[in-house]
Parts: sequence; structure tokens; C-alpha cells
Amino acid sequence: MSSVIQEVASTRRAASERRKGDGRMAALFLAPWFAGLFLITAGPMAASLYLSFTDYDLLTAPAWVGFDNYVRMFEDPRLLTSLQVTFTYVFVSVPLQLAAALALALVLDKGMRGLALYRSVYYLPSLLGGSVAIAILWRQIFGADGLVNQVLALVGIEGTGWVSHPDHALNTLIILNVWTFGAPMVIFLAGLRQIPRMYYEAASIDGAGPIRQFWSITVPMLTPIVFFNLVLQLINAFQNFTQAFVVSGGNGGPADSTLLYTLYLYRKGFADLDMGYASAMAWFLLLIIGGMTLVNFLASKYWVHYDD
Amino acid sequence: MTDLATPSKVTFAEPPSSPDRRVRRTGTAARRVRSAVTSALKHAGLVLFGFVMLYPLLWMLASSIKPNALIFREPGLIPSDVDLSNYTDGWSALLHPFSRYLINSAIVVLGCVLGNLVSCSLAAYAFARLRFRGRNFWFAIMLMTIMLPIHVIIVPQYVMFSRLEWINTFLPLIVPKLLATDAFFIFLMVQFFRGIPRELDEAARIDGAGHVRIYWQIMMPLALPALATTAIFTFIWAWNDFFSQLIFLTKPDMYTVPIALRTFVDSTGESSWGALFAMSIVSLIPVFLVFLFGQKYLVKGIATTGIK
Amino acid sequence: MRTSITQRGRRGAAVAAGAAATALILSACGGDSGVGGTGDVEAQECPCEIRFSWWGSDERHAATQEIIDAFEAENPDITVVPDFTDWDGYWNKLSTTVAAGDTPDVMTQEERYVSDYATRGVLADLGELDIDTTKIDQSILAGGQIDGTQYALPTGINAYAIVANPAVFEEAGVEIPDDTSWTWEEYVDVANKVSEGAGEGVWGTQDYGFNEAGLNILARQKGESLWTPEGELGVSEETVAEFFQTSLDLMSGGGQPDATRTIEYQHAGPEGSLVGTNVGGMASFWSNQLGALSEASGEDIQLLRYPGETEFERTGMYYKPAMFYSVSATTEYPDAAAKFVDFLLNSEEAARINLTDRGLPANTDMREVIADDLTDADKQVADFMADLGDEIVDASPVPPNGSAEMQDIMERVNTEVIFERITPEEAATMFMEEVNAAIAG
Repeated sequence: MSSVIQEVASTRRAASERRKGDGRMAALFLAPWFAGLFLITAGPMAASLYLSFTDYDLLTAPAWVGFDNYVRMFEDPRLLTSLQVTFTYVFVSVPLQLAAALALALVLDKGMRGLALYRSVYYLPSLLGGSVAIAILWRQIFGADGLVNQVLALVGIEGTGWVSHPDHALNTLIILNVWTFGAPMVIFLAGLRQIPRMYYEAASIDGAGPIRQFWSITVPMLTPIVFFNLVLQLINAFQNFTQAFVVSGGNGGPADSTLLYTLYLYRKGFADLDMGYASAMAWFLLLIIGGMTLVNFLASKYWVHYDD
Repeated sequence: MTDLATPSKVTFAEPPSSPDRRVRRTGTAARRVRSAVTSALKHAGLVLFGFVMLYPLLWMLASSIKPNALIFREPGLIPSDVDLSNYTDGWSALLHPFSRYLINSAIVVLGCVLGNLVSCSLAAYAFARLRFRGRNFWFAIMLMTIMLPIHVIIVPQYVMFSRLEWINTFLPLIVPKLLATDAFFIFLMVQFFRGIPRELDEAARIDGAGHVRIYWQIMMPLALPALATTAIFTFIWAWNDFFSQLIFLTKPDMYTVPIALRTFVDSTGESSWGALFAMSIVSLIPVFLVFLFGQKYLVKGIATTGIK
Repeated sequence: MRTSITQRGRRGAAVAAGAAATALILSACGGDSGVGGTGDVEAQECPCEIRFSWWGSDERHAATQEIIDAFEAENPDITVVPDFTDWDGYWNKLSTTVAAGDTPDVMTQEERYVSDYATRGVLADLGELDIDTTKIDQSILAGGQIDGTQYALPTGINAYAIVANPAVFEEAGVEIPDDTSWTWEEYVDVANKVSEGAGEGVWGTQDYGFNEAGLNILARQKGESLWTPEGELGVSEETVAEFFQTSLDLMSGGGQPDATRTIEYQHAGPEGSLVGTNVGGMASFWSNQLGALSEASGEDIQLLRYPGETEFERTGMYYKPAMFYSVSATTEYPDAAAKFVDFLLNSEEAARINLTDRGLPANTDMREVIADDLTDADKQVADFMADLGDEIVDASPVPPNGSAEMQDIMERVNTEVIFERITPEEAATMFMEEVNAAIAG
């Protein structure tokens, strides 16, 4: 991720010659964040790192066991299952969700009637996303006698219980995640609106049509926001918990087919009272997400355009 | 400007005129008809899609006015028997009237919104516009703080807040936001700040403005979409956040909406599904209104302010 | 240069602050709940405030608050602070508060966790406190004892039973069988007949394979038991295989819906179950769920004994302690806590408000006190439980540490079975291995 910052630094070296003394200002602007980092965030994070090297059942004091928890992870077949489930979930649902969000944002960005209402309606599923009601609703839609199968029956296809079949349950979770595209959509919308109008005006004067304007202005100017959404949705998808918890009834079923990593971690920590192991799992996840994010930042040098 | 009625009206109002003029007029009218049709199709598509997005809400609304026993027996959209008692019963089913939980949630949410807006924008300004030593390092640390699942952080956090005697107050929910622990929003604002042309602050610097003034008088107004996004998301997430509110609030008079909603359902015994749906609808109203009215600020960015 | 020095100074202070916070947290994680029982905290005198935590849904919350009000009226120097949530939230909140040394003074416990909490020193020895247990059904008192110490007192009793929907039976033209003598074969038979007679979309029974209680009954009928008193797995692999085989027989005979529907109905709880929605003749539930089932279906659902009670060596039905009341080993007010638990168990007022919400009262006197206030469904439960009294051979031993994973394992293994991805024999082997691993630590 250093590349992003370096890029800024290098492109603007001349302008920043005058501003050598920013350190002090930075300390001022970052003061609340530093306070939060060291007083609120760092302690619990460090504690969880320590706990990952202990046998900790929450009820009695933790006992140091060295790398035991990490070693156990390699021998845990369910952990492997949960990694497979999670990777499938992340790499299928994130691109689909972002594509849906971007497409809708582009359509809704144009001045048209009822825009505010459409935007709000499309955002609604995101408001409902983690509600307990979703469990029942999803059964009603994707169940053996659900809405989807009723529609399929009209065209002569006999469906199955999508939400409860081990081969399909994960797909319904992916659909659920795509369906809650409201958050990235809103960010895209805000991003589209932030593109200075003067660029389009200048392009029009130069005779560029709407399609050229889209590719040469909208797309590059939006890349920082696309990048942001990608990084954040990846991080979020890897940590998704609530939807899988609600839809599977809390256990990642049927037959572990929706056992997302964080769901497994939660069950280990709180249901099985194995918080030491859960902490180790969390730090392993941090390594995965961190690695993924680093790759993202490194790659961003080639496609993300900053105007500053 | 995409009024369906316009083209026909124009045609009727047309006075007889010379052939060559009429050809030109027909051309314009055809274009108008075409654009009206496109627009109608677009609206039809958006409405249809909107229905898919809305279905869950409609279903929840329908279920909320069914007697408890019919929710599962007749899961369809049209209730055979309308019964509003879910609303009256649900409102007073828990120890306090539901308004108490709505007010508690409102306090928490407002604190969080305010906290995030101020603290995250300050930190974001430093990361986006200031040069200081260790910037890459701190930026990476900042991202790292959102990569650990909450489930392993919550226990150490609880211990910490318990030592501070903050349990069962709103402080553990609000203070961290005042100290910019929601790195998501810092990153969001960094991306938006970097989209604001640097010429603007260069110009201000030449006029003798310091960083505090640039932050307050240039960045903040121009980053309105980002601020609106932050405010809306913080509002929604804090409004729906179940896990940390459950852990940190222990007395019923401090309970918030998500905790109250969960207490309608008991997987081991009887559940009041009707009341759950009714109160879910009630608690969705404020969020939906916030979104409906807040979303217009999403589109008031640099594009609509005087600076071009 | 000056900037970087001040910055370094600040950073040093910040790191120190972070380290201090970490040390503080770690010193407290699980620190206050050291093993040792009631002895290590000095008891305080009242006036005082004690916290009582439980799980449940809105009706229980309202009723419990009424009980608390009644108790406070009698004991003006004690304030009871309620702390309630749903089942899942309850257990992660409870373990978190215990970790921080904020254990509720009086808490609700459950069979699957009581051993974990008791053996780790979280629960007080109730024998040392002034709580009257003479009126409590002695056979179930043992359910709250671990190595002879009373860590938890049962609130009431439930039995795992078959529920039957008479309307569905009638529609199918099948008689509800005599539950005192029916065999497992008859159970499968009846279920298949109901499916056949009632037609499309209605089934004989809902799969029982997700809950270990059914397995426990079968095991007990065969002279085994799910758990031994020593805290080991006491069921044989053959019995487990037989248990899953019955479920497969029902599916192939049509008595039970296909695998995907089975899972959907399983997740829908009593309200959305086959019996609750009037599309199934039978299902397995805990007796306290009869009310919810009757209300959801609008029919007079009946309780039946499990099949096979006269088929093998002995009867398998048993009373399960519905929940327990426990007191924190570290409470500052053990006397007040004891007084409150005593009130919950032994006062007529509490019994009249609670009725059968926490199982049929463990206190046998209270069963009579509430007899006239019961709904029809609850009356049926009370009679059913009374009839069982003479047939039950012994109590089922307390599940050992790690048994909370049992539910998860059952659900997984059974899903593999009903989708026919493994045979019942393979399922039995998988079950034995996973359960043994879970209780080994």
C-alpha cells in the first residue's frame, strides 16, 4: 500500500517543497486517531494476539501453549472446509456485487424523475441484511416450495430446496450478498458526483461524445472509488458473519456448506469455549486479508488514477 | 424533461406549416418519442427491479399484519386475515415501551455519526494532504485495525471497558467513534479528498490559508458526498449493530433496538414472530427516512458547488 | 528536527499507553473467576443489587419481571437487575462477562453448559447456601450435581416426546397409535401410512435426527445411555447406526419429506414445523413446546411417548431439567442470591407467574399450586409428565464438558445421512469420533 502514498509524494514533490513542516500539523490532525489507536484499538488487538498463543476457555485464566493453536489449525478439516467456502463466497460475490452496484449507480446518476426514491428502494435490502427475518424470508424464496421454484415450475423445471441443499446453499448466500449492493452503490454515486464538471465541459468543447467522455473522464476519475470499494468489500466479505449466521441457523449448515470462516471462528470461541483457537484463527485471517489488500494496493498503481 | 406527454402535446399545438419545416419538426418529434420510449422502458425496468428489491420488505409488512399463527401456515404476500395487534402488542411486549429502545438507539447513533464525521475527516485530511514521517506505516496500521473479526476483540474490549466502569453506558459505543476507530471511513474520506483537485488548496495556500482553514473551508464543503456517505452509513450500521450493543449494554432500560428485536425470538421455546416483524418495520422507518432525505447530499459535491 | 523529537516523544507515550492497556486487559481475562468456589470473595451485607440473567422471548421477559417485582416487594433491601436476551446472544454475553469477572449473581444455566461452568469454578456450591431443596423432585436434583456438588438447581422438567397432530391423522384416515406399547417398526409404519393417506404435501413425521435426545431415549431403551455418569460417551455404534437407519427408512417409505424439506422444516422451529403448520402427523419436540405447537397449528396437538418403550430392555423416556438456576461463585451477595433462587423455586407467587414456562416446576408442591391455572396444552403436559413418573427408570447423567458441541455434530452427521452422502454405519463412526474429540477437550 506504500505505492499509493509514494505516488502522491513523487507527483507532488515540487508543490510540497514549501511544506516541510507538516509533521506537526499531522500530529494535530491525527491526534484523535492516535488516541483511539493506542487507548482503544491496540490493547484489545494485542490481547487477542497474546490469547492466540494460549489455551483460553473464557471461564478460567489463559494458559500459554506456544504455537499449539496454530499447529492445530493445520490438522483441522473443518477449518479447511471453511476456507474453501469463504474463498468461493468472496471471489464470486464481491465482483458480482460491485458490478451490480456500479451499473445501478451509472443508471441512477443521470437526472431523472423519482431518482431519490429509486436510490432509496435499492438501498432497502442493505438495511434488512442482517435481520432475523431474512432467515424465514430466504426459505420462503429459495425453499423447496419457495417462490423461485414456483416460477421454475411455470416453465416446467423442477427445482430443489436451494437454501437447504449442501450443493446450493452457498449460492443463496452469495445472492444475498449481491442483493445488498446498496452500500457500494451509494459510494459509487457519491464518487460520480464528485467528478468536477469542468472536465466534461472541456471535453465537450473539444468535441468528445458521451461515450468518449465516459471512458476518458468518468472511468479514470472513478478508479479511486472503485479501488476503495474493492478493497473494502473484500475485507468485509472475508469477515461476513451475520448473513450466514442468520440463514444457516447459526451453524453454517447444511453439512458445513455455508461455514464461512468467521462463523466457524465464532462457534469455536463462544459455543465451544475455545477462544485461544478462535484468536489464532482471527490472526490467520488477518494475514490472509492483509496479503490480499497488499496485492490490491500494489496492483492499484497500474489502474487507479489520482488527480492530486 | 423526460415527460411522456410532451411530444404529443407539441404535435397537437403545431400550426400548419411548410413541408420542409414539417419534416424537420417530425424529426424532432420522432426523437422525442424515441427518448420517451427509452425513458419509459428504463423506468419500467427500474420499477420491476425495484419490486425484486422491495419484495422482502413487502413480505415483512404483510407478515407483520398477520396473526402470529398464520405467518408460517400462509407465507404468501396477501394476508387472508388482517390483524394489527402485532403492532400494539409488540410496542409494549418488552419491559419498556418500544419508544425507549428507539430513543436509546437514537442517542447511540447520533453520537456515532458526530464522532465519525469529525474524527475520521481530520485523520483523512492528514493522510490525504499532509507529508509526515511514517505516513505509509500508519496508513497500513490503520487498515490493519479493520482486518480482525470483532468476535475476538470483543472480550478484551469488554474487560477494558469494565475496568473503566463503562459497561451499561453508551460510552463504549460512542467514545471509540470520537477517536476515529472506524478506519473504514478514514479510508473512504482519504479516497474522496484525493479526488479534490489540489489546485484548490494550492490557491488557498497562496492566499495565506493554513491547513486548518483549508481543511475546514475547502475540503469539508467539497467532500460533502463523502461526509454524507459517512453519516448515512454510520447511522445505519450503528442502528443495526447487534453484537457490541448486546455485550456492552446489560440493563433493559439501556437496551437498543437491535437487542430489543432479538428478544422476540427464542430458538428454544416460543417466538413472537408477528411482533418481531411489526417492530422491525417500525425500526426501519427512521433509517429509511434518514436515507431518503440524506441521499440528496450524496449528490451535492464539487459538481454542484460554485467552484468549477 | 524539533518536530521529529516531539513526535518521537509522543509516540513513546502512546506506545506505553497501549502496552498498559494490553497488560490491564490480560491481567483481567478470566482472572476474577479462579477455581475455588464461594470462599474467596468476602460476602457483603444488603441493601444490595444483584443481577439475574436469562434467555428467552418477550413473554418470558415480562413474566420474569413480574416475579422480580414480587420478590422485591417482599425483600425491600434487595434490588434485582434483569439481564436478558435470546439463546445465542445469552451464551456469548455470559462467557464474555465471566471472562471479565462480571459474572451475573444469579444466572440461568443449561444442561449442555453447566458442566463447563461448574468445573471451571464459575458456579457456587449451592449446598453451602440457604436454599430449600426438600420439595424438589429428588430424581432430577442430581441433574445439577457434578461430582456430588450441587452447582445448579433445576427450574422444572421437560420430556422429549412425539407430538401428534390429530387433524392430520384424521385426514389420512389413520388412528393415533397407542403410545404405551408401540414399537419403532410401528412408528415407521404409521408415518408411512399417514403420508400415503393424506396425499401430496402432507407427511407422516418430521425427521428426529437433529436432536441427540431421541438417540438418548433409544440408547436407554437398550440399556445404554448417551452419556455415562463418568462423563463418557455411553452409546454403542450399533445403536447410533440404527437410529440413523430409521430416518432413512422413513424417507424411502415416504413417511418423511425429502432431505431439503426436512432441513427447512427443522430450521423453522415449532411454529414453522410440519405439525405446527398442519402438514405433518408427527414430530419430536420437548414437552414445553406443546403450547407453541398448539397455538401455531390451531389444533389440540397430543403428546405421545417415544416408540419402543416396551420393546427392549427397559424404558428410555426421561425427565430433562428444563433449565437451571445457578449462583456466581464470586458474588458479593451470596445470601441475597440464595434468597432469590429460593423464591424462584419455592414461592407460590413465582410459580403462579411462571407456570410451565421454565418446564413443569421442579418443586412438586408447586405443580399442584399451578394446576388450576394451566392452559389445556399445559394441563396435558402436566398429566403426561405425571404418567411418566412411574415408568422412568433413572435420570440421565449430566453431559460432560464439551457436550455443547453435540448439537452441532448431530446436525452435521444427520445432514450427511439424509442426503445419503454417507451410510448410517459411516455416520455412526463419524459421530463417535467427533463426539469423543469434543469431550476430550
